Amino acid sequence: MLINAMGLIVADHDQVHLGELTGPRALAAVPFAGRYRIIDFILSNMVNSGIKTVGVLAETKYRSLMDHLGTGASWDLDRMTQRLFILPPFINQSIMRGAQTSDLSGLLNYVENGNQKYVVISDSNVIMNERYEKLFEKHVESGAEITVLYNKDGARFGSPVISLELNKQGRVVDLLLDAPHLANDNNFLGLSIISRDLFITLLEAAIARGFNEFTQLTLLRMFPDLDIRGCEHDGFSLRINSVATYYSASMRLLESKVRNHLFRQERPVFTKVKNEAPAEFVTGCKASNLLSSDGCIIRGEVSNSVFFRGVDMGKHSVVKNSIIFQDVVIQDGVVLEHVIIDKDCVIRSGVELKGQPDYPVLIGKGSLV
Amino acid sequence: MILAGGQGTRLGVLTDHVAKPAVPFGSRYRIIDFPLSNCTNSGIEAVGVLTQYQPLELNKYIGNGHSWDLDRNSGGTYILPPYQSIYGSDWYKGTANAIYQNISFIDRFSPKYVLVLSGDHVYKMDYSAMVRQHVQTEADGTIAVIEVPWEETSRFGIMNTDEDNRITEFEEKPKEAKNNLASMGVYCFSWQALRKYLILDEEKTGSDNDFGKNVIPMMLADQQRMYAYTFNGYWKDVGTVYSLWESNMDLLDKPEEINLNDDSWRIYSRNPIRPSHFVGPNAVMDRVAVTDGAEIYGTVIHSMLSHSVVIEEGATVKDSFLMPGVVVKQGSCLDRCIVGMNTIIGADMQVGPDVTDGTNYYENERVCTEGITVFEQNLIINDGAKINGNSMIYMPTANEGFNKIVVGLNERELAMEV
Repeated sequence: MLINAMGLIVADHDQVHLGELTGPRALAAVPFAGRYRIIDFILSNMVNSGIKTVGVLAETKYRSLMDHLGTGASWDLDRMTQRLFILPPFINQSIMRGAQTSDLSGLLNYVENGNQKYVVISDSNVIMNERYEKLFEKHVESGAEITVLYNKDGARFGSPVISLELNKQGRVVDLLLDAPHLANDNNFLGLSIISRDLFITLLEAAIARGFNEFTQLTLLRMFPDLDIRGCEHDGFSLRINSVATYYSASMRLLESKVRNHLFRQERPVFTKVKNEAPAEFVTGCKASNLLSSDGCIIRGEVSNSVFFRGVDMGKHSVVKNSIIFQDVVIQDGVVLEHVIIDKDCVIRSGVELKGQPDYPVLIGKGSLV
Repeated sequence: MILAGGQGTRLGVLTDHVAKPAVPFGSRYRIIDFPLSNCTNSGIEAVGVLTQYQPLELNKYIGNGHSWDLDRNSGGTYILPPYQSIYGSDWYKGTANAIYQNISFIDRFSPKYVLVLSGDHVYKMDYSAMVRQHVQTEADGTIAVIEVPWEETSRFGIMNTDEDNRITEFEEKPKEAKNNLASMGVYCFSWQALRKYLILDEEKTGSDNDFGKNVIPMMLADQQRMYAYTFNGYWKDVGTVYSLWESNMDLLDKPEEINLNDDSWRIYSRNPIRPSHFVGPNAVMDRVAVTDGAEIYGTVIHSMLSHSVVIEEGATVKDSFLMPGVVVKQGSCLDRCIVGMNTIIGADMQVGPDVTDGTNYYENERVCTEGITVFEQNLIINDGAKINGNSMIYMPTANEGFNKIVVGLNERELAMEV
């Protein structure tokens, strides 16, 4: 079934920050799984669900996100009428005179211009490979005003987590943020569906009241006035709420069952095409439990790690339990353990960096170590 | 104009169902990616691809040319099969006839110069430098040449030139060569000159309508200004099973010769929609090139693995080129193999030149040389089979004795490529 909905991806999250990983880029643009960015999973889920109009709400640091998304062609979202819309902060003349920096009229404009019946809204901190049929069917069947997706594994992933108190009809009756002792453990998965008409009404009201930011939390907080219901997700998902959960989620990619959950031929995950050369494993290298990508040259010893595209790893280097981003150069004789190294870094010969499994060392983009 | 219609019979079963330019190459490419990428990198924006033999896979692969940045407002990629007209219809009889039948296509762009290229060569070449020389020498035709070892001159079309690089004589496969500059099958022509000689050649009865055999000798005989353009770099005609195997091994042994990591001259291709490749806990990787979606749990030595290849634990792959989607099951040992797309190699198989107690497939006409074994695409090969080197394995017809080896067709679909 194709869902008659437009998509909205919230690229930043006002509570989720991944240290230096989200320093230069939006949360949605954080690289994940060797050749993807987090947003690729969300965009692909939408496209695989038949959603062909997708807006990406970008608040700050959106250069890298826009660079990645381009025209949307990689996701087949560069069509005549239905396509990708990037929604940067909207500044109009009346606001120029006032104190505010932007308002929600850019978002309102996007939603008003749609002709679909519903809007599917997604945050950028949960990775899964799903079609949205079940959420959609449940929403239509129950007659709720908003239906939100949740599952019960949030507690293990640390804060921030929004847990939902549901009544017998599945209606949201309370909302707890990072509750220390979870009574119910129904944790929001950052995905909701709402009718476009209602969304327009809510946005208009928000603009009239001077709100300049949209988050799903604001929407959820309207539970006393709106019929918001939960839909339990029983499939696989990975939450990314912190550097530690980013690290552990990445390490779980080394399990074949996790990869089988996330990468299915019938629901492909699309990303920007790079045309790198094939990866090269040269004589004398040792590789085990390695997820690596095109353009890598592996000369040293590497285990339990994720290598993004174009990593150049020198001889006699030892890399364990680490995540190495695109185009990083690891020179000869380097020792890395439990580290995350962002794009374009150079790790000079002889350097040793060691973190801990629950506290990996994170080296920011473009550093020379 | 890229000539991509040839059957490529010397590749045996690898070109039974696909045209040679669409044959996979070098882990993540098809052969035609090289001329297409050379065109886009040389700033050529209108490209005609002449297809004839088994064009479906090639047509699907090229699509609108988007993957090579050849989907342009003016120009772009055009697939040009033979067509019907009020004068009748005809297959492309030879390389020159293929261009002749598309004269009105070329006229539509009113070009001053036309490049005629082969769809089955592996090389990186800046055609714009060749066109520049063509303009500077006021040539009617320029032929790219490459120096070959003197002892191999008898295999090539040799150009004899004067001190200004003007071609004085063309000798096809000479016994006693006077020069070692071999034609690469890459031509630049002034369109009006070529147009005239294509029409003249067509009027000649008994002509093979071939550039090398007919058109170029005729232009030389008529004292047209024909120049050689010397190319320095890696160039290979991957026309035989051995040269296909060897050029894949070249990528592993001499990666600097055709540097695929060169940012200024990328080779573009369709990209499979697959996750990063995975190297398992007990895998051994020694001189291996690999790309998206491959999963390696066994031992791989000196081999080229394409997308979605799976090497199970306990399997060994050596000196081999595996095309997309190939599965090698546990305990199997492949040596000097080329395995076609999507073929499943059963468990505990032994294939290679050192296997002597296996089955020979020399009886039929389709055999390999140099100890190489070739598997056709989409086969399911029986567990425990032993196959000697030089064999060519394909789907058996009723009266052939492969039935114990090939047990079925693999109908699983390969990952989407964009």
